[in-house]
Amino acid sequence: MSASKPKLSPNVGVHPAYHKEATSAKPIEVMPLPPLLRVSMSQHLGKPALPVVKKGDTVLRGQVIGEAAGFVSAAVHAPTSGAVKDVAEAPTAGGIMALAVDIAPDGRDAWAPAVEENRRKRADLLARLRDDPAAARKEVVAAVADAGIAGMGGAGFPTHVKLSPPPDKPIETLIINGAECEPYLTADDRLMVERAAEIWQGALIIQAALGAKRVRVAVENNKPRAAAAMGAAVADSAGDCAVVMLETMYPQGAEKQQILAILGREVPSGGLPMDVGVVVENVGTALAVRDAVVNGRPLTERVTTVTGPCVAEPKNVLARLGTLYSDLVAFCGGFARPPCKIVSGGPMMGLAQSGLDVSTAKTTSGLVALPRELVGAFVSMPCISCGRCVEACPSGLMPCELSQMLEAEDYEAAAGCNVADCIECGCCAYVCPARRPLVQHMRRGKAWVAAQRRKP
Amino acid sequence: MTAYILIIVSAVLVNNFVLTRYLGICPFLGVSRNLPTAVGMGAAVIFVITCASAVTWGVQVALLNPLRLEYLQTIAFILVIATFVQFVEFVIKKTSPGLHRGMGIYLPLITTNCCVLAVAVLNIQLQYNLLQSVAFGFGASAGFALALVIFAGLREKIDRACPPESFRGTALALLTAGLLGLAFMGFAGLVKI
Amino acid sequence: MGITIAVLTLGGAGLVCALILVVADRFFAVHEDPRIETLTALLPGVNCGACGFGGCVEYARALLAVVGATPANLCPAGGAETAHAVAAMLGIEAGATDKKVALVLCGGDSARAPRRFLYNGVADCAAAHAVGGGDKLCRHGCLGYGSCARVCPAGAVEITAGQLALVHADLCIGCGACVKTCPRKLIRMIPAGRTIHVLCNSPEKGPAVKKACQVGCIGCTLCAKLAPEAIQMNGFLAAVDYARELDNQEVVDKCPTHCIVRR
Repeated sequence: MSASKPKLSPNVGVHPAYHKEATSAKPIEVMPLPPLLRVSMSQHLGKPALPVVKKGDTVLRGQVIGEAAGFVSAAVHAPTSGAVKDVAEAPTAGGIMALAVDIAPDGRDAWAPAVEENRRKRADLLARLRDDPAAARKEVVAAVADAGIAGMGGAGFPTHVKLSPPPDKPIETLIINGAECEPYLTADDRLMVERAAEIWQGALIIQAALGAKRVRVAVENNKPRAAAAMGAAVADSAGDCAVVMLETMYPQGAEKQQILAILGREVPSGGLPMDVGVVVENVGTALAVRDAVVNGRPLTERVTTVTGPCVAEPKNVLARLGTLYSDLVAFCGGFARPPCKIVSGGPMMGLAQSGLDVSTAKTTSGLVALPRELVGAFVSMPCISCGRCVEACPSGLMPCELSQMLEAEDYEAAAGCNVADCIECGCCAYVCPARRPLVQHMRRGKAWVAAQRRKP
Repeated sequence: MTAYILIIVSAVLVNNFVLTRYLGICPFLGVSRNLPTAVGMGAAVIFVITCASAVTWGVQVALLNPLRLEYLQTIAFILVIATFVQFVEFVIKKTSPGLHRGMGIYLPLITTNCCVLAVAVLNIQLQYNLLQSVAFGFGASAGFALALVIFAGLREKIDRACPPESFRGTALALLTAGLLGLAFMGFAGLVKI
Repeated sequence: MGITIAVLTLGGAGLVCALILVVADRFFAVHEDPRIETLTALLPGVNCGACGFGGCVEYARALLAVVGATPANLCPAGGAETAHAVAAMLGIEAGATDKKVALVLCGGDSARAPRRFLYNGVADCAAAHAVGGGDKLCRHGCLGYGSCARVCPAGAVEITAGQLALVHADLCIGCGACVKTCPRKLIRMIPAGRTIHVLCNSPEKGPAVKKACQVGCIGCTLCAKLAPEAIQMNGFLAAVDYARELDNQEVVDKCPTHCIVRR
């Protein structure tokens, strides 16, 4: 498939101002070790990891400091070598309190011996994956689980779970998600430009682990350099591999919308991509998988875009997991003017922060500091039934109706109207002229549905 | 056959009992707060009116006409309908408690409903035979149920919205009913009777 | 002549109808305990569900299903009066009927407990609590968005001007609906008529509490020393043991943060 012509999107969505120019041309900068790393045990979707170190321990980079608590959970590793200062509750980007391990780096940044051991153990894994995929697949999944990799696009779903689909759901297509449809963020864009070959190697490892026939790399057409770089990486691969240029639209980075755009398949209501034979992985995740399998290295750092009109020098920063937001901002020259709202993640789906005492997690794709004129205080008004949210909803829901049901606390009615299919992309709230907190209503509805499902 | 279909369609849409003839407004406003209740009430009304049409037709033809007591029509019909509804309630209560919970509680509400009596009287006035009476009764009650269910759906939505203070409650319900009646005027001329 | 026929016909028809109904009533009679109605009338009819049954009628049914198996004192809204009436009718023991009322364990109104950020979302405590752990600086205090007031069947919960929930004990029927709905779990059922309360639910250490609220319990243990039998330290939080009597003005006067109040 040619990488020049964007594929017209069957999706519905919105076109917010993207503002990516501030950082899209800036190479990824490696941030020096900060004086303190606060590594949260809850960096992924699912149960928080259980800390296995205590105050006073010394740890090496890549050493397990939190063990996965169950299948849908992910291990947490020390991002550098140093001393454990404390194991205490700290706020996460989501605002809840979770245990976190405070590490004071010793500056040596020494890797744990297990990493080298893993590297040697997995040295021939790539070859075996080619020759005898069935046996080697399990090893890849185990390596991914050991490395504590969780979806780096923002949702943070543990990757090893995605890589172990049930046998009755064969995976036919792997999509590597480089859409990065959130405004302001350029972390994935820069990653593709600078490390295309490694991402592609990771993609091939995931493909082999899943036994997928096809690989598609999805890039939106506002990232021509990334598309070109990925195209070059994909070019000399055998098999059904291609880069797909997508028309730029929010929320095309959401996996269900991306599957629709690329394959024309719709994930059924309440279903998962694996129900239509697809797995979607973020480019950062693919890179992390490659690092785990080839280098034996667990996930200890990620690229975060620190941007927004209030940041003095917007940058794409390669920072260790657990770097405090205050240190990230300081690395980017601090605030040029006082921010009104700081969002962890992109401005559409990200979480507003009440302070900078939160640390980066596996899911922190960006940190956006917005000035007052872009935030705009507003009062939300009753629904005027204009239907703009219905037109904008990529899941085909009726946010206006749902929000009114949920406002009246009629949860059964909302569940009947499939509130659980909401992907919380925020398109409805973005277009709402009455400025209604639609996504928050949806979240309440989804929480209620989830609580009902948990009930025996 | 066409005649019966025409009778039903005209009773459901064109001459809708609630929205065109303004009969049975009391339960229409009273039992339309939410959809499940409206459906239960609608089902009860369909059952009662259809059966009552047959029974009252029989009373008229077998009792009132031969004895030249047509002027006692109203009182005789009320007596028969009330007895019939009460009887049905007894039977349902005994045989099917589930149905009684769903529909039975609305039965006493229908006993003295003008909608039921109107159908019985109109059957005679329009000189329908037994089958035509039953068809008319069914059509009329189905029209009532349709209006009730539509109205309940609208009211549920209105309750969730935030209308201005002075419109809340009955005021907006009556306005909505009026607008619904206007909408049903669109069916005028669909069937010529 | 005409009137005779009319009277006879209608009278006859009426008689026939009556007969049908009488027969039907016999034939299709459903046995329903008439006591259920009497018993339901004795209950307050709030249908709050605090007894554990789905409304007053269901409680009456349960009371009669096996007399004596269901206690007569389950209705907090009716209190002692109802329990005694029900017990007298059924001939069973009324049991203990201490009236309980709800108490919000937070005294930090907006003047004394600052907010961390401007919350501009759904006006509901659970929703606000889910956004960054709530906008109040104290992560344990009352958010004041009135979820408890909305579920209260008696209208006993007031949201004060200081954005704080306040239960009016004289109106509270003790159903416990607010206890269940509070996302921060800071409403507790206490025996009615108690006057001295520790209005704080924060288990944090003193300095943390002090930073978040002027009237929080800082865990100084002074009250526990003054009234050791009725106030216990629960970590860094003083808690009144409502099983004991407490009428010690000194604890109210000496509490350094005025977190203990007489109400």
